[in-house]
Parts: sequence; structure tokens; C-alpha cells
Amino acid sequence: MSIMRINVGPIHPSTHGVLRLVVDVDGDTVVGVNTHIGFLHRGVEKLMETRMYMQNPSYTEKMDYVAPLAWDDLYVHAVEIAQGKEVKEAAQYARVILDEFQRIASHLLWLGTFCNDLGQMFTLFMWTFRDRAKVVKFLEDISGSRMFYVNIRVGGLWKPLPADFKERAYKLADYIEENIAQYPDILDKNPIFMERTKGIGKLSLEDAINMGATGPVLRASGLDYDTRKAMPYYIYDKMKFEVPIRAEGDAYARYIVRFNEMKQSLSIIRQALDNFPKNEDVVGMPIKLIGPPAKPDTVVLSHELPRGEGIIYMIPDKQRPYRIYMRSPTYMNLSVLDHISKGHTFADLFSILGSLDIIMAEIDK
Amino acid sequence: MKNEGFDYLKGITAVDYNDHLEVVYILFNTKSKKQEIITVNLKGENSIHSVIKLYRSADWLERELSEMFGIEILGRKAPRLLLEKWNGVDPPLRKSFAWGKDYKRQEP
Repeated sequence: MSIMRINVGPIHPSTHGVLRLVVDVDGDTVVGVNTHIGFLHRGVEKLMETRMYMQNPSYTEKMDYVAPLAWDDLYVHAVEIAQGKEVKEAAQYARVILDEFQRIASHLLWLGTFCNDLGQMFTLFMWTFRDRAKVVKFLEDISGSRMFYVNIRVGGLWKPLPADFKERAYKLADYIEENIAQYPDILDKNPIFMERTKGIGKLSLEDAINMGATGPVLRASGLDYDTRKAMPYYIYDKMKFEVPIRAEGDAYARYIVRFNEMKQSLSIIRQALDNFPKNEDVVGMPIKLIGPPAKPDTVVLSHELPRGEGIIYMIPDKQRPYRIYMRSPTYMNLSVLDHISKGHTFADLFSILGSLDIIMAEIDK
Repeated sequence: MKNEGFDYLKGITAVDYNDHLEVVYILFNTKSKKQEIITVNLKGENSIHSVIKLYRSADWLERELSEMFGIEILGRKAPRLLLEKWNGVDPPLRKSFAWGKDYKRQEP
């Protein structure tokens, strides 16, 4: 049969942003995917080179609009290393708690939209959004903003934590644990979900490493690599948690890895709350007091973001970064798409794309 | 480097120091969990050899590098533009772009 070329996007509900795919199909089988990106390119790295250190968090937040706090934290931590500033102990605990809640919120959003892609319209989506809304409300009450919480400052956070912070965090963790325990009932027992994820989009470990896949996609292929364990930052070396891995490397394995990561996040949150320092001072420096960096050394920093390992390579200058490179995890994960979707049906292409969990703002930078 | 176990290429980028370009490779060893940064000074030249035969992750990273810095990648066929959809403009991440004049780094 002759090969037909189908155009998908740039505006399409399943692409989660402005992504254009040119798909070559033989009958119903995909033989090649040509990925067109760059519709959201805004030159973030260049913009950040022209602005002062603490004007930049508003750019890093828009890198990944589903988990803005994680990128924000990574950037501010890199600035702290350049400035030679210590992070207050209580602030380290608070940041870990907020980061893990952000990871849960991000995975919940992914799970809901992934099921929409699979045709399980809006049942699980409603459940995950009900739970995610609680997390978002919690983060809003701490930072004052619902979507872009620009509340990480050099040395700590921008304002003290509310008086009932620990109490509410415990309650929220219990609530999430109780609710996510219901999800497998609607997923693992659902033949449609299982058939559309099991054995779909297989990525072998060798290919995953060689093609630079990262985060849950890499761990679903079987590599035990989590930046929180391998290169610990903040207080992660004091925490006891497991890194969920699966050997299959298919869409189902990616779902299981993300689902188990949420459970581990809850465990980390509880441990951090149990050991929260008595001195609850978390307030960082006022923005105006941030001066030139202590030493002009290059900063290379990795954090485990919800979608994979984010890296900042920064060469500091007097008032602003001379050069800043941000390795976005989903950029690497999307480059795998062509390889893993070959041989699958056209309908499964969106199961695979959904399982990679892409954010176009982060890919196009 | 790959023979020494650095089998995972995390990222490629470059730095423009006005008089020369420096290309940066972030490599990782998945067995010993060690990270290594390699910097290559291009010494006024404008091209670098591709590493795509060793690391397939270099595919998109090198395309980003060549579009953002105008660095020619030798040893692989010229692909279509990935991020930038226009031609004939200065590479956007060079220091000569949009600043109007050369911006010198001030040592703190």
C-alpha cells in the first residue's frame, strides 16, 4: 500500500499545546513521525541574560506552567549557589514540601488528561482535578497566587508560612492518599485502558539512555536514576524514599512509575513535616539587597522536576547571568517520539504522546 | 569518553565570549552516577564535529545549537530548521544579537 501523509496540529486537543506532527502512515500503521516544534519559541535564555537575577523567576515559571514552582526553585537555587548564600534550614524543608506537592499536582493533571487522550472521557479527569484543586488551593494560600507562585526568594521564601501550615499539610497528604488509592480501580481493571497502554510505545533501556530520555520515561525503561538520590540537594539525603522503576518501558509502565512517585512524594512530605525545624523562620532576602555574586564560577545544577531532570548551566555576571542554559526534560522526551511510535497504529500515537507528558512551553523555550 | 562509561549525553550548549565560542557537553555515567562537563574552545572557528554516532540524543541538541549559535555541525546531513522558522537573521543567542553593540563581561 502506498504511504499517506497526515498532518496533525499545530492546534489539536491531544497535543497539549502547539505541536505539529506530520505522520506517514501505511494503512493504519505509523511508519514515521516528523515533529515540528518552535511555535512557542520566545528566547527565554536570551531574555534572562538581559534582566537582573531576581527579575528572572517570572520567566522560569513560564517554562513549565503545570509545575512552575519546580523550575522556580531550580533557578533560585542556582542563583544562591552563585551568590554563596545559605538556604535557611526551615526554608529547605518548606521548599521540599512545596516541591513534592507540586509534583503531585503535576502528575494528577497528567493522569487526567492522559485518560482523556485514551478516550476515557472526563471520568478520571474530574477525579484528578478535584484532588489537584485542593493542592493548588494549598499552594495559593502560601504564595498568594493560584497559578504562578513567585514565592521563592534567595535564602528562603518570600513571606512566613501560615500558622496552620503543618496541620493543613498533614490533612492534605491524608486526603490525597485516600483519594489516589481509588484510581487503580478505574484504570487497572479497565480493559480499554490496559489495552491502549500495555505494550504500546516500548522504549528499551539502551535506547532510552542513548536517546537521552529522562525522568519517569527513563525510569519506566528500567534505569534507577533519580537526581534526588544520585545528586541530593536540600534535605533529600536525609529522607527515606524509593525510586519507582519498571522494566517494560511502555506507556503502562510510565503510568505506574508516575503513580508510585506520587505515593513516594507523600512519604517525603510526611517525613519533612515530622522533622520540621523548631525555628520556623523561612523568610529570604529582600530582592533589593541581592548584589553581585561571590565568585564568578560556573554553576551547574540539576533538580528532579516532575517531568524529568532539569539542568541549569549558568555563568554569572555582575547583575545578571552572562549565559544561562536550561536543559528542559520534555525536549529530550519528545525527541524519542518518532522512534517509539513506529509500527503502532495511528490511534496509539496519541497514547504514546500522552504518556511522554510534554509541555510545549518548556520544549520551545 | 563513551568508552569510559559516560553513556548518557544530558545536554549541549555554547557560550559566546565575543572573540571565541565555547561548546559545552554535559555527560553522565549511568553506572557510577558521575557527571562530567566538557568544554571545547572553538578558537574563532565556526564549526564542530557531530557526536550523533555516539549519542542519538545529540540529534535535537545539535540542531538547537546550530540554530541558536550559528555553529555549523560537520559530519551529518543538514536537517530542516527545528525551532526557528526564519532565515537570514543573526543567530539569536550570540551576544551580537539585539544588544546593538558587543557586550563585554564585567568580572565581579
